[in-house]
Formats: sequence, structure tokens, C-alpha cells
Amino acid sequence: MSRLPHAAPLSWPSESTDLPRDLPERKALNSLLAQEFPNASGELSPIAGGRAAAEQQLNGMDAKRYGRSRNHLNGSVTRLSPYIRHGILTLGEVRDAVFSQLKQNNQGRDEGGKLINELGWRDFWQRMWLDLGDRIHDDQEDHKTGYASSDYQQDLPNDIREGRTQLACMDGFRNELVTHGWLHNHARMWMAAYLVHWRRVHWRAGADWFLEHLLDGDPASNHLSWQWVASSFSHKPYFFNRQNLERYSNGRYCQECPSNESCPFDLSYEQLEQQLFKVQPAIREGTARRSSRSSSRSSQRPNSKPSTQRF
Amino acid sequence: MNPRKPILWVHEEALGPANPALQDYPKAPGLFVFDDAWIQDQSISRKRIGFLYESALSLPLTLRRGDVATEVLRFAQRHEADAVISSTAVDPRLQRIAAAIDRDLPLWMLDPDPFVELAKSPRLGRFSRYWREAEPVVWEGF
Repeated sequence: MSRLPHAAPLSWPSESTDLPRDLPERKALNSLLAQEFPNASGELSPIAGGRAAAEQQLNGMDAKRYGRSRNHLNGSVTRLSPYIRHGILTLGEVRDAVFSQLKQNNQGRDEGGKLINELGWRDFWQRMWLDLGDRIHDDQEDHKTGYASSDYQQDLPNDIREGRTQLACMDGFRNELVTHGWLHNHARMWMAAYLVHWRRVHWRAGADWFLEHLLDGDPASNHLSWQWVASSFSHKPYFFNRQNLERYSNGRYCQECPSNESCPFDLSYEQLEQQLFKVQPAIREGTARRSSRSSSRSSQRPNSKPSTQRF
Repeated sequence: MNPRKPILWVHEEALGPANPALQDYPKAPGLFVFDDAWIQDQSISRKRIGFLYESALSLPLTLRRGDVATEVLRFAQRHEADAVISSTAVDPRLQRIAAAIDRDLPLWMLDPDPFVELAKSPRLGRFSRYWREAEPVVWEGF
């Protein structure tokens, strides 16, 4: 935790104005960055950068367990996204590692399909970004909520930024985002849905905030996933209810939540549709085109099945 | 004409040993620049900068901060380089920086290994369309 990656030696001389490569430990890096980038908020993440850390994380990957448990906050997710985003590991390297593991364990496509699929999502987002360029910051389509883009608040509310919503789940996600720079995909979806649909904040305010903090942040997967939740890059908005959040978080937030008795998510999907959106029929009649990405054991409705989208 | 004495510009999308510039020119001096404007404009947190710093430390790279194109060109001058080698970037911001470098010094952008090589550009728009074409090709490698 306190050690820095071994600095690869240089075969050319350094100049005094170069940034240092001989820092003794992470604490020194933290101090250096505070001095060099005084406006950059927060501290270092406990998640270490560098190839050695990436390889360690890759060695812990379990494709089969990932496929079975990935929707749960305590599931066997890979946490490889920061390393893949910055090319510390390539998608090809991870793909080959998955294939090797499957062969070694006499497993096949059934066991590795979900994880390979996720790598496909990353590739898809990058191709979309190449195609869209700076247009990735724009609404891709009209919102299907009955609200116009201009109906959404443009700024991030302070209680969300500061983790003071009094909702233990949302404040917990915010704290993890700000301290670790990484969030489970399901937490990203819940937080995005809360912000956009319950608080009616424009997806871009939330997406930009995520990019301030996420170690894996890039506008491709981040902005388009926010738009998928918002319904400006999908056929219908994504939302959830308490039952869904409680199930996939193993109830870790709800029991101690100051809003336990007044939880805004503690409604049926029908009630939430009525409350959150102007155009319920279109949402209800939406097809289940993405159901193949959902947990087959889920009893939720198609538009709110868990993890049907990847940030 | 192949560059005789190049330097390498390593950017945020390719901070690993698979970077084709590092693979093809292992002896050339390499540079990573923390983009002051991006960090300031996007309110990038210290966590993200630290993660990049640690990742860049793992590679043989000089580290600097400032205006990226200016720093790359200055580094090229310091090494009397005749070209800059880098890896293809997806981020339009990095593409703009690449274009700015290329105005002053020849820039070679090398393609990293693709995740999946498709005979023709896949249909995008929705993941399902892309994946229908890409998935069978990915699994051919299994």
C-alpha cells in the first residue's frame, strides 16, 4: 500500500525540471501531487497503478465466478477496468488470460462468456467514441421519460457531491467513489438512476462528476452508460427499487439508513414509473431487447433488470 | 522514411508494455506529460493523477507536466530527435495534441493490437448489433 512501483531505469539523463521518479513511497507521491496540482482534490486511491498491480489483479480473476456473481456488490468482479482504460493491460491480454484459465480448468464458453462479453463492451464503447468524437458529450437521442433535456437540472446538487443525501446507499457510493475512485457497476447504475430520475439532474452533470474521480473514467463507457440510464442512448430509462438494491447489496445499507422508514426507492416498479416519468405507457411497452444481459434469476422488469448495462 | 532518431510520446491510453511505440523503439527516450489543461478543466482528482503517475513510473519514461504538445516538442529538441513515435489514440483530446505535435515534427502513430479484427467495420449504434458480428470472431481464438 505504501510502496510505489519500482521505477524503470532511464538510459538518458534527467533534467532538474522533470517530475521526480525516485520517490521513496506513496506518501511522498501524495505530497508531491499536492504541491504540483494544488487544485486536484482528495488523496491517493488505495488502488495502486502500474503493471505489477495490474498483473496481481489479473491473477485474481475468476471468469466462472465472475459470470455467476458479478451483479452483487460483493461478487467476484475483476476490478481490471482502471488498468484496461489506461492500456496497462490490453483487452487482448485479458481475453487471452480468460481463455488460458478456461482451458486450464477444463471450462468452456459457458463459464467464460460473461467476462468475454464485458471485454466486448469496452471495445464497443471505444469504437463508439472513435465514431462520435466530441459528440459523445451530447444527448444521442431524445429522452424517453416525457421530459426534455432542458427539464433536467444542469448542476450537481451539493448534497450528492458531499455525500449528505441521508440515503445510506447513495452516500456510501459517493464515499467509495471519492476515496477509491472505483465503484461496482451496479452501484454506478443505481447512483446514475437516482440522480437523473429521482433528482432530475441532467446525466452530464453526474457523468462529469464521475470522471473527476473514476480511475477508469473515460467519456466513452461513462457518458454513454449515463445516457443509457437517462434514456438518451436507449429505448427506455433504467430505474430500480429498494428490493433490487437491497438484494444485490446484501442489505448492507438499508438497516442503518437514516431514511429506512422513508426510503424513496421502497415502491413497486409500477408506482415508481408513475412517480418518475411522464410517459409511462411507452416505458411499459418497451421491448426486452437487453434481457440477454440480465440475470436469468432476476424477477425484475425488463427496464430495471440489474446490470443490463456496463459503465 | 523511417525516423532515424525518434523520441516516444506515451499518453494516457497506452501506459503498458504492449504500447507499440515502446515495443518497436525500446531504446528511444520516452515521455509522459500530465496535461495541465485537462486536469484543471475537468477537475481531475489527485487519485487519478496518482494512478497515472504510478503507472508511468513502471515504464522507462521521463515525466513532465504542462501543455502536452509543447512539452513533447521540447523533449524532442532536448534529444535532437527527427520524429515522434506514439500509439493511436481514441480520445479526441489526444488526437488534437497529436495534430499539434505533427505540425512541427513528423509524428508516427502506431496501432495497438486490436481486441478483435473484423473484416469490415461493424455496425454500431447498439451493443447487440456489434456483438453479433464480433463475438464469433473473438471466440475463434479460444
